[in-house]
Amino acid sequence: MSSHLPILLFLVPFFMGVSMPILTAKRPALCPDITLGTVIVMVIVAILNLRFVLTQGPIEYALGGWTAPLGIAWLNDSIAALIALTISVVSLITIVYGRVVVTTGLEKSVPYYTLILIMMSGLVGLIFAADLFNVFVFLEVAALTGYALVAASGGKALVYAFRYLLLGSFGATLYLLGLSHLYVATGTLNMADLSDRLPELMTSTAVAAGLIYIFLGLSIKMALIPLHSWLPDAYANAPSSVTPFLASTVTKVALVAWVRIEYSLITPTVEVSAVPVLVLLEELGVIAALVGGALALIQTDLKRMFAYGGVSHIGLILIGVSLGNDTGFAGGMFYLINDAIMQAALFMIAGAILHYHNASTLDDVRGLGHVTSPWLTASLIVVAIAMVGLPPTGGFFGKWNIILGALEAEHYVAVFAVVGSTLLTFGYFLKVFANWFHQPQAVEVKTIEVARELRFSLGMASFAIIALGLMSDTVVQYLLESVSRGGI
Amino acid sequence: MIQPHDSVIVRTFGHIVIPVAQLFGVYVLMFGQYGPGGGFVGGVVIAGSMIMAILIFGIESEDSVLARKILHGDGVGLLIFGGVGGLCLIGGGEFLNYSHLSIPGLDETSRHQVGILLTQVGVAVDVAVTGVSIAISLSFEEDEISQDEVTD
Repeated sequence: MSSHLPILLFLVPFFMGVSMPILTAKRPALCPDITLGTVIVMVIVAILNLRFVLTQGPIEYALGGWTAPLGIAWLNDSIAALIALTISVVSLITIVYGRVVVTTGLEKSVPYYTLILIMMSGLVGLIFAADLFNVFVFLEVAALTGYALVAASGGKALVYAFRYLLLGSFGATLYLLGLSHLYVATGTLNMADLSDRLPELMTSTAVAAGLIYIFLGLSIKMALIPLHSWLPDAYANAPSSVTPFLASTVTKVALVAWVRIEYSLITPTVEVSAVPVLVLLEELGVIAALVGGALALIQTDLKRMFAYGGVSHIGLILIGVSLGNDTGFAGGMFYLINDAIMQAALFMIAGAILHYHNASTLDDVRGLGHVTSPWLTASLIVVAIAMVGLPPTGGFFGKWNIILGALEAEHYVAVFAVVGSTLLTFGYFLKVFANWFHQPQAVEVKTIEVARELRFSLGMASFAIIALGLMSDTVVQYLLESVSRGGI
Repeated sequence: MIQPHDSVIVRTFGHIVIPVAQLFGVYVLMFGQYGPGGGFVGGVVIAGSMIMAILIFGIESEDSVLARKILHGDGVGLLIFGGVGGLCLIGGGEFLNYSHLSIPGLDETSRHQVGILLTQVGVAVDVAVTGVSIAISLSFEEDEISQDEVTD
């Protein structure tokens, strides 16, 4: 039975999401509780799945009983299991947070909670999919629900959601186009089969164009600079209750999909017209990391600043996984797990400040450190340490492994980019803290109490960031194991 | 807002064609195993017949009662599809492995047939609901908005 855990992880949110309108037809107030229960079950299933994968090794799950070349396969290896657990935990934290910081009109909205659950099932499917077309389907499930969630509160968000929809659909079309190129050239869509047949076809223009289309399509979804323009506006205007969930999952899981494709199809020796492809990808990551950090530095709106921070981290992860060695790869994936939690924590803090203090810009938060709850200040400090990358948080060990990998590959530009983006991150958090601990504007000082659920979410996120740092050796080891087995 | 059609010819023709189209949709759905057809095509034909009923008789009419009712069935098709897969999981096989469909009293061949038919019914229901809801949202949304503006 335990080999069925990946499909269970998909079916739990899917079933609950689809039957939500039926279950809550009489009592719409039950929506948040049903969602919370579903996410708790998901976390348990994800933990069991990780345990199963670590003891039994990676397995291929054949849907419908048809094995890979004929049927559709899901690959359940330690990377997929770890990311699935991360997504489940982040969902739990952000759903609990969404019970406090709710946007008016969405408290008991059945479509809103249905969309969240269906989006979770799409993300789970995307993580496990080992077939290019399956990746496309789940990418669209996650993206379409994402557009609707960004627009859920209406108003100005509708415009940005529409732009997100146009760009996202363009990306999906490009991905589909690239996929059809590969299908015509090889006759298969299964990633394992493709990695057997593609290397000798790499000189073909059709295959190279197909890979470029796939990369362009996915880089719109993962908001890689210069294709990031939909992200900051969409996240700054989306309902506060759902932004942490969107920010920490959508772009990261699109990146995971690309990593799977890249790792199985593009080896370090692959060159197109004498340009080594991996180095090219790494340089794109370098640009994204530095430009994203610089753009974050000049923002005055907190949510936009954090959104650009996330954009710059996508670049860092892309550097790590494109170095062509195991250390860099494991570092990049480990940083991805950390980044999911850090983004969730940052947007939760920004949402909570907006909820309690009605503050959204740097000027608004001036002196807030003296009046706000110590929970907010403490978790902001922990997240800032992790974003900058100081031990003992997970952020440090991710960056450390990426730098080690870059030194191993002798790519000093990558080392420079990681250090440079660290300095830029330090710069914009310095701006936040300079305002945060500024002399209070008001004379009377009254501290506010944050709700118990919010304390749980912020505490869990901070704990997870530090725990990942302390357990970094173990986690990196699991990731390396999966790489050396050729599992992914 | 779509108004009911006045022409006697169109209304009489609708009364004759719509039941036939619905019957044909079910036929295509059922015989998808043996020939061209299946859940998607059957669902589209059924949705087409219901959209025709809305266009000819109007959404409020007694003749398009099915089109109004089916909108509540959004997601039932997905539940049928997922439920068949879940029954296969309970039977000990992989998701959607019909050999393990845990319906008692069936041999393996019939299990495959029942399994594929049920999943196709799920697909057909979902396609039909989606088709009707697209038609309704395209043709009725704007009127509601303008009414809201008038009341404001």
